[in-house]
Amino acid sequence: MGRDGQRAGWRPLARAGATAVVVLALAGRAAAHSGSLGGSVASASVPTWLVILTGGIVVGGSFLFTTLLTDHEAMRGVNWWRVALPTSAQLRRVAVPALRAVSFGVLLIVVATGLAGPTTPTQNFALLVVWVGWWAGYTTTTYLVGNTWPAVNPWRAPTRFVRRARDRLFDDASDGALPDRWGVWPAVAGLLALVFLEVVSPVGENPRLLAVVVLGYSLATVAGAVRYGDAWFDRVDPVSRVFAAYGRVAPLQRDFDGSLTLRLPGTALTEDPLPDRPGEVAFVVALLWVTTYDGLVATPTWAAAVEPVVSLGVPALLVYAVVLLAGFAAFLGVYRLAARNVRDTADTYVTARAIERWFAPALLPIAAGYHLAHFLGYFLGLAPALGAVAISPFAPPANPMALVLPGWFGSVKLLCVLGGHVLAIWVAHSLSFELFPGVLAAIRSQYPSVVVMVFYTMSSLWVITQPYAPPPFV
Amino acid sequence: MTDHAPTLRPVRDTAVPDGERVAARCPYCERPFRSDHGRDLHVGERHDPTDAERERYEAALEEERDELWLFHAKAVVALGVIYAATVILYMAVLGTFF
Ligand SMILES: [Zn+2]
Repeated sequence: MGRDGQRAGWRPLARAGATAVVVLALAGRAAAHSGSLGGSVASASVPTWLVILTGGIVVGGSFLFTTLLTDHEAMRGVNWWRVALPTSAQLRRVAVPALRAVSFGVLLIVVATGLAGPTTPTQNFALLVVWVGWWAGYTTTTYLVGNTWPAVNPWRAPTRFVRRARDRLFDDASDGALPDRWGVWPAVAGLLALVFLEVVSPVGENPRLLAVVVLGYSLATVAGAVRYGDAWFDRVDPVSRVFAAYGRVAPLQRDFDGSLTLRLPGTALTEDPLPDRPGEVAFVVALLWVTTYDGLVATPTWAAAVEPVVSLGVPALLVYAVVLLAGFAAFLGVYRLAARNVRDTADTYVTARAIERWFAPALLPIAAGYHLAHFLGYFLGLAPALGAVAISPFAPPANPMALVLPGWFGSVKLLCVLGGHVLAIWVAHSLSFELFPGVLAAIRSQYPSVVVMVFYTMSSLWVITQPYAPPPFV
Repeated sequence: MTDHAPTLRPVRDTAVPDGERVAARCPYCERPFRSDHGRDLHVGERHDPTDAERERYEAALEEERDELWLFHAKAVVALGVIYAATVILYMAVLGTFF
């Protein structure tokens, strides 16, 4: 833990725990000894700039390498490979309600311990379960294993209960409908709002505030889902949408006929372009942007850039909000520009809009790779504390342990980032063969996105190799 | 193998700029193309071509093959150069380059 976790956006948990948990401080020092992330690759003397440059070279080189793979049938053989897994409808009928009941129970304990538990972050059940167990650990399973959120979602059970009560009380109760032209933009706004809240408020270190946020989110979710039905989880609730998006990367997939299948990771992305709804592409781009933003605000460069602006009298919260929105707009703009350029490089009449939707799934492995790089060390470091507190939420041990990660762990993080990009190149390559006839047009269609991806890899590696600096003024 | 290919809806997902004459159009799904070459490949890949169309498809494939060979030659050279440059760069930076 230590620097790794802090950079991941869970800085508050580490910040507040600094005085209380000596073990964590030791872990932090161990990480500091191994130098910056770049320094821990293979040998201590590889400078950061070279690590960043190498990342760009690997991504560009992977593209050149995939251009050698032009056998469309063989590519489909890899991408469409699947093994049907036995599923039991009966087991499902029992297991899903049980899971939902358990997760609702955990939600109640989170609120209770958040409101009344110890305020030491590494002893507080709510903080550990939400940030370590759920946002770091559980999220990882959604792209490494499969999206189980529809079965686990703790707000499903209360929603069902309230709906039933409503139907009994009112004969003419019916679902509301969200305007079609909103598409999934509500979820985009919700995702940006959640990340803003996480960055600028002490919700990561203050269990009382966390409990209030969880309660508020629960009330809004249940109210929305009662009013609008499943459309709420599909188009508004950012949490469900994040897991659904990550779940497309995973090896376990629901097939068209509803059966459970095992696939190669990422290959499910080559089958569906995004649905034709407003905001679908924007949500994927937003998911990518928030990972970058979360890391960016914890760099010394950010601190140095923000301080003069705030000293001029500009409110700090405004600076954070403007950069969040401007960065999102810039990411979306660059993606759209690249899509428009594909029309020329691939010499095609396919609209830029269709190209955007077609290739957007290829961004998901990148987002998943960053998530893993950010949170794997954080999760492993705090997992012992989570385990200890989970056993007795109301009487946690005084000195929970933390796992000290070895110095080479920094290279694992770099590999996660690069792995995501390389998988993205394969997915985009496969998708291009499905969209454009022949081989050359498909290969040429990738030029704009490869250029963007090389720069994006390098800037993201720059962010994660920066030393941690707490975001100022918040 | 069942067909899992994602599908394009040509009418909605393609657009021809105003004033531009479409060079070729797929006789089966109406998708417009900027060249006969693209259309011939598309018909052969995606539809059940007639004998004449199959012949044009094979010809287009042949044309692709030549161009692709040249492209691949360039790609392999570029990969080799990038690899060598990276190795030299690392040796220079790490100080083991004599
Ligand atoms: Zn056609």
